[in-house]
Amino acid sequence: MFDFSVFTSWLDAALLSVMPGWLTILVECVLVALGIITLYAIFAMVMIYVERKFCAFVQCRLGPDRVGPWGTIQVVCDVLKMLTKEIVSLRKTDRFLHALAPFLVVTASMTTFACLPWNKGAQILDFNVGVFFFLAIGSIGVVGILLAGWSANNKYSLIGAMRAGAQIISYELSIGMVMLTMICLTGTMSFSEICQNQAEGGWYIFRGHFVALAAFIVYLIAGNAECNRGPFDLPESESELTAGYHTEYSGMDFGFYYLAEYLNLFICAGMASTIFLGGWAPFVIPGLDGFNEVMAIIPGFVWFLVKVFFVLFLLLWERWTFPRLRIDQILTLEWKYLIPISMLLLVLMALCVSLGLTF
Amino acid sequence: MANTSYFAGLIGGIKSLCTGLGVTFRELWTPKITERYPENRKENHIPERFRGTLVMPHNENNEHKCIGCGICQMQCPNGTIKVETKMVETADGKKKKQLVRYVYDHGCCMYCMLCTRACPQGAIEFSPEYEGAVFARESLFKVLNQPGSKCVEKPARPAAAKPAAATEGAKPAVAQPQTADADAAKAKAEKMAAAAKKAAENAAAARAAANEAKAAAEANAADTALQEAWKEAEAKALKLETAAKNFAQKAAEAAADVK
Amino acid sequence: MNAQDIMFVILAVFIVCSAFATVISRSIVRAATYLLFVLLGTAGLYFLMGYTFLGSVQTMVYAGGVIVLYVFSILLTSGQQEELRTTNLKKTVAGLVIALVGFGVFASVLFMYGFAPIDFAASSFLASPDESVISMDTIGTHMLSTDKDGYLLPFEAVSVLLLACIVAGIVIARKR
Repeated sequence: MFDFSVFTSWLDAALLSVMPGWLTILVECVLVALGIITLYAIFAMVMIYVERKFCAFVQCRLGPDRVGPWGTIQVVCDVLKMLTKEIVSLRKTDRFLHALAPFLVVTASMTTFACLPWNKGAQILDFNVGVFFFLAIGSIGVVGILLAGWSANNKYSLIGAMRAGAQIISYELSIGMVMLTMICLTGTMSFSEICQNQAEGGWYIFRGHFVALAAFIVYLIAGNAECNRGPFDLPESESELTAGYHTEYSGMDFGFYYLAEYLNLFICAGMASTIFLGGWAPFVIPGLDGFNEVMAIIPGFVWFLVKVFFVLFLLLWERWTFPRLRIDQILTLEWKYLIPISMLLLVLMALCVSLGLTF
Repeated sequence: MANTSYFAGLIGGIKSLCTGLGVTFRELWTPKITERYPENRKENHIPERFRGTLVMPHNENNEHKCIGCGICQMQCPNGTIKVETKMVETADGKKKKQLVRYVYDHGCCMYCMLCTRACPQGAIEFSPEYEGAVFARESLFKVLNQPGSKCVEKPARPAAAKPAAATEGAKPAVAQPQTADADAAKAKAEKMAAAAKKAAENAAAARAAANEAKAAAEANAADTALQEAWKEAEAKALKLETAAKNFAQKAAEAAADVK
Repeated sequence: MNAQDIMFVILAVFIVCSAFATVISRSIVRAATYLLFVLLGTAGLYFLMGYTFLGSVQTMVYAGGVIVLYVFSILLTSGQQEELRTTNLKKTVAGLVIALVGFGVFASVLFMYGFAPIDFAASSFLASPDESVISMDTIGTHMLSTDKDGYLLPFEAVSVLLLACIVAGIVIARKR
């Protein structure tokens, strides 16, 4: 398996030989940031296209097919349109918070995006508390949503923001609980180590058998709710709140929310594939060395993307199947079903690990 | 959920969610029903009963079934249809209405089908022709009877139909009927103008009489007979005046038609 | 000056400015937002020192939890922009006195600590971060151990406190 850190350490050494240490760090940070932003934009566009096509296919339609082959250029056109639109500033709003809120949301989303392990050695943020850091940074996005709803001085925005707040805070609990369940199994919080373990001993969804599988499903449900996507999309339910917390945003300010929504979905899928399906780790069966060698020929980022798009398929499938829930149904689902289930899973997983019932 | 237990509700919920997922998964692979319109306009199938536009079917002899009765025009809630007719004398000396122009305003039509239902002859019907977009509003006015067409004759008198068709066919298709129309309209306008003039004279006379009666009645307020006479004269004058107005309006319309 | 020092200065200025903005701001939601920046800056300092666990806790608990609850409760209670009214002279004087006393306490603590004198000739003003990061295992073991450096008692005390909070919340919210 190709180790991407060979390239990064070579680049670091090359830069260090021509410039002082602080400038090297600055240049590297700028390069990494550019990389993140480019990938972020590209994946947002891919996601929007995939979403529109998938939604159309579920509804027995063809979806966008006018611009470019199979409508592939459609998203580019939409992005250009969004970029050239006027950003409207409103009277009687809190200008500063109104302008700040989309950046909080998009910053939180980008930072969590940086946690994804793309390949062996190709990971931007890799702490020993990686999973915890991921959850922590992800929780800042809620502040952005709440501020967006409040600063717009619009009751629809405010209602949307309150719903989003209640929903995201609630579902963060079961996400945290499921993460803890898996950390019982992994024994580490660092994403690179989690992936390395799975590259050597098989994916955790197989090693943790039915407990991990149940945790995977709970994670998908809670992750979907965390991204404010249907059937949990009532913070921005267009039929009752026009657009929820981003009603008053226009142009690229709105575009940031749009980007963040799709990228949060991508990040949710990326996390699921990292923790449960092995991230960049190829499909290995311990003991069958020949098979493992063949699997290892496929590069890590291909494995990662394939897994991410598989999880995305599951998420989109769910999103376009179920109708929107009411706020009390959402909270009932979380507090009466998902949290007890995830607590039970945590206990079960702890039992399995301590009794050696995992693989 | 109220009368089921927690676990039964949970399991039932999971089952129903899985059913939903199954439905959408099957739907994902079904053939898509989207019509790719501009590319498939040749083979695009529109159902027969689709109401696209009003048409008047003509047979191979360029004959339609419209007898010019105007019921469709009266039925239309939007004033979409205008039937223009003229009186002609048939070979056996009977007067008969004949269709001149059947004007249909596509922009006004709401496709209610009241006209086709009302038509006693089944002369008009809706066709599934759906490409109704045009560049100018005027283009939405369509003359449904084809130039030179005529009403189909009853099969009982095929001999009479032939010469009529021949004479009709001999005329240049578009120009002749129009001049004939213009002549007819001109004659009508002159007639109308004369009638209007006469009516106006009548009205003026009645008004003068009424004024006289009024003066008399005012002079002798006690005389009830004079009062009655005044009222009568006044009513007559009013009636004649409205009639005169109507005639004047009709005359103006006829004059406008000539133009 | 190395990159470490530059980042420290940037973060310090950021924290101080945000802290001032927090107390000066008239709008309560804005004050909460500036407080979020202060807390994020502090988390940044922890990351700079290599304490990733502490930094994550700071972000999770304060930035993601406390501030969200602040904003939430502000939205639930006041609704409209409720700006602070100008205060009268008595309140101003009282506030000034309290602020001065607080500043005096902090300043005296800072000056009495006796920091090592700054060596301007050195390449870096700050001690370089401890590269040997403490693993999660160690932190977890210490949290739940009853040994010399064990934190089991405070840990359990905190959990009892949280339990009390949950029970209190249910009691308040319960329909009678």
